[in-house]
Amino acid sequence: MPELGHAALLVTFGLTAYALVAGVAAARLGRRRLAASARNALVGAFGSTLVASAVLLAALLRNDFSFTYVARTTSEALPTAYTISAFWGGQEGSLLLWLLVLTGFGAAAVLLNRRWARDLIVWVVPVFAAVAVFFSFLLVAVASPFATQQAPPDGAGMTPSLQNPYMLAHPPLLYLGYVGLTVPFAFAMAALLSGRLDERWLIATRRWTLLAWAALGIGQLLGAHWAYVEVGWGGYYAWDPVENAALMPWLAATAFLHSVMIQEKRGMLRVWNLLLVLLAFSLALFGTFLTRSGVVNSIHSFTQSSIGPWFLAFIAVTVFVSLALVFRRLPELRSPTKLESPISREAAFLYNNLLLLALCLTILWGVVYPLLSEAVRGEAVVLGRSYYDFFLRIFGLPLLLLMGIGPLIAWRRASLSSLLTTFRLPTIVALAAGAVLLALGAGSSVPGLVAYTFSAFVATTIAMEFVRGTRARKALGAASWPSAFGSLISRNRRRYGGYVVHAAIVLLAVGVAGSSAFDSVKDARLERGESMTVAGYTLTYRSLEERQVSNATEIRALLEVRRGDRELGTLKAGKNAYTIEDQLSNEVGIRSDLLTGEDLFVIAEQIGADGVVDFRVFVKPLVNLIWIAGAVFLLGSAITLWPDAREQRRLVARTQEIGLPATR
Amino acid sequence: MARKASPARLVIALAVAAILAVFLLYTSIAGGGNPSISPSELAGRSGTVQLAGLVLGPVRGDAHADGLRFGLRDIDGEANTTVPVLYTGSVPDLFRAGRHIVVDGELRNGTFVADPGSMITKCPSKYSPSRNSGKD
Repeated sequence: MPELGHAALLVTFGLTAYALVAGVAAARLGRRRLAASARNALVGAFGSTLVASAVLLAALLRNDFSFTYVARTTSEALPTAYTISAFWGGQEGSLLLWLLVLTGFGAAAVLLNRRWARDLIVWVVPVFAAVAVFFSFLLVAVASPFATQQAPPDGAGMTPSLQNPYMLAHPPLLYLGYVGLTVPFAFAMAALLSGRLDERWLIATRRWTLLAWAALGIGQLLGAHWAYVEVGWGGYYAWDPVENAALMPWLAATAFLHSVMIQEKRGMLRVWNLLLVLLAFSLALFGTFLTRSGVVNSIHSFTQSSIGPWFLAFIAVTVFVSLALVFRRLPELRSPTKLESPISREAAFLYNNLLLLALCLTILWGVVYPLLSEAVRGEAVVLGRSYYDFFLRIFGLPLLLLMGIGPLIAWRRASLSSLLTTFRLPTIVALAAGAVLLALGAGSSVPGLVAYTFSAFVATTIAMEFVRGTRARKALGAASWPSAFGSLISRNRRRYGGYVVHAAIVLLAVGVAGSSAFDSVKDARLERGESMTVAGYTLTYRSLEERQVSNATEIRALLEVRRGDRELGTLKAGKNAYTIEDQLSNEVGIRSDLLTGEDLFVIAEQIGADGVVDFRVFVKPLVNLIWIAGAVFLLGSAITLWPDAREQRRLVARTQEIGLPATR
Repeated sequence: MARKASPARLVIALAVAAILAVFLLYTSIAGGGNPSISPSELAGRSGTVQLAGLVLGPVRGDAHADGLRFGLRDIDGEANTTVPVLYTGSVPDLFRAGRHIVVDGELRNGTFVADPGSMITKCPSKYSPSRNSGKD
């Protein structure tokens, strides 16, 4: 069996190498049949990668410990679902998943766009193939998932905190996001290589970028939720390098999704967009590199491995070649229009881009700072939480405000008086909200108060847009209010889906501000019967129970919760002791208030032999809005992603306008 | 009348970005950030540092009372220096002798006094409990 997997990977390597060489030759010489052959090789590479993946999956499911990879990541006792998640639990498997998704996306993107973007596709194929060659080379020569050994009686098992449903979805979603960013990158490079620099590469990849971006966003939120409920230190984001690795390409992609609109409408920012795509893709590669290389100290320290230098070299080549291509085409990339006024939608989008990029690069700086300072001063200096928090406020809060301003401001040039009319209501609402919150005591954290106020502003603008649009549809003859609302969204999915995503970001901002700027925490050592009070809650430690389950011993402290005179029931917090893995894991107790979105979060830090427990209790206001934001984000992304026949027609018209070379 | 669009505005925007970049460099070099060092480099240092090392037993005491005491040694070590550490606050699940940890704190009278709750554990390899990370 391992031979089959290895052979399949060799075939993938061969096919992608052929697609690369033949694709370049076909594009340069204008050979249509050769181009088709290269394309078929790329599609075939997806098939052979699928075979290799099936072999690995089968080995995992059969607990075939003669596969080194299987023995290292699973054990007999591991439940089936987690055995499947071991596919991406280790380095070799996750590289295989990268390659599988990459070839799959490549095949799909090429086949779906082959009719109306043929002149681009001839170059998309070799670009995709080049990336796939790199990954299949790694899998064949450096980190094979099909290495074998004398089968041990049992595998090493999986770290308890990864034995969690989140691990079924979180890593693959991040991979979908990372790999998905290859699609816009490949089309951008194809546009540069072919010299067909019109807007089609953007339009062709908009949905792919959105898909990748949405997957990255949801993947990160799932990771945050996992950290919150499972890792149990009382937070959801720690600015750890590996977390940042996923955030950076997401920010770059967010900037790209916005600046794309400027290019589509006004033909501006053409070089900028190319650079953003390059940045997003390089950061996706860098993210994979960070996760896998262990060059920076991270709480997520995965197997340190030999693939680091390969990745760095590949990133360097990618960046160098892409920049050279952009540079070569620079004269042709001059935009026909210029920014007319600093108060216009274009300008607002530009500010949004600068802020997103500033935030992204600040984070990048923080991630690589230990390496840089080590190289320069001979001593690694680690930038802590305060660094990131500071810049999140500096760049994030204006960004939040711009989210309300950008979509409502006029194109080209907006007058101040029109601004006053447009933003009168949101400003009043925001100031009123600020005043009320200040009176309620939110002044204890200025950034928190500012975040709330700005959120109120943005929320009002979004609500206004929906009300105005629905009214207009009603006036145009919609039968009822709901149908007017429905047709509003379905007729302009991109715009209103965008607003829904913005609403999600508002929820996220409020949730983050509430839970980080206005939270309470208290530590106490309690004996049975003793109580502690935190932020209005009274917790009484009642009893300690111990239970034996299949792979662990569960110890739980039982607490009674009261708030004022109201009994709020009981809460359990404790630890699991995993037998095979010989590890402890915190099992926190969380009580969510459905009305206020507040969480009471209890950690049993230390359980003494005499039943004395050290508790750490957090009260986190509004934290549940963050998870609700995830659902709203998904909804908004789905609205914008939904196929749109009218958009497709516009696209075809545009293709005809440009005129494709008749046949080649 | 359409005025002649000036590229000056873009320049302004880029200048803003440049200022921010300088600002960034300044703050990150001047303020914030602790040197990350290993136990053998600790001797004679003052000020808060981030110490990364291998936990040496015996681990004694109570992190939630008068403090947990253990030794810390270089992870890949020719150096045999062991620094005594005093730690209070949350102890991560993965903490034990033989594990790699990172703590913030400073050296006081020969003992590294860690900032409360600053400990981060690093499993030598998250997915494959390494066979040679035996308990000392």
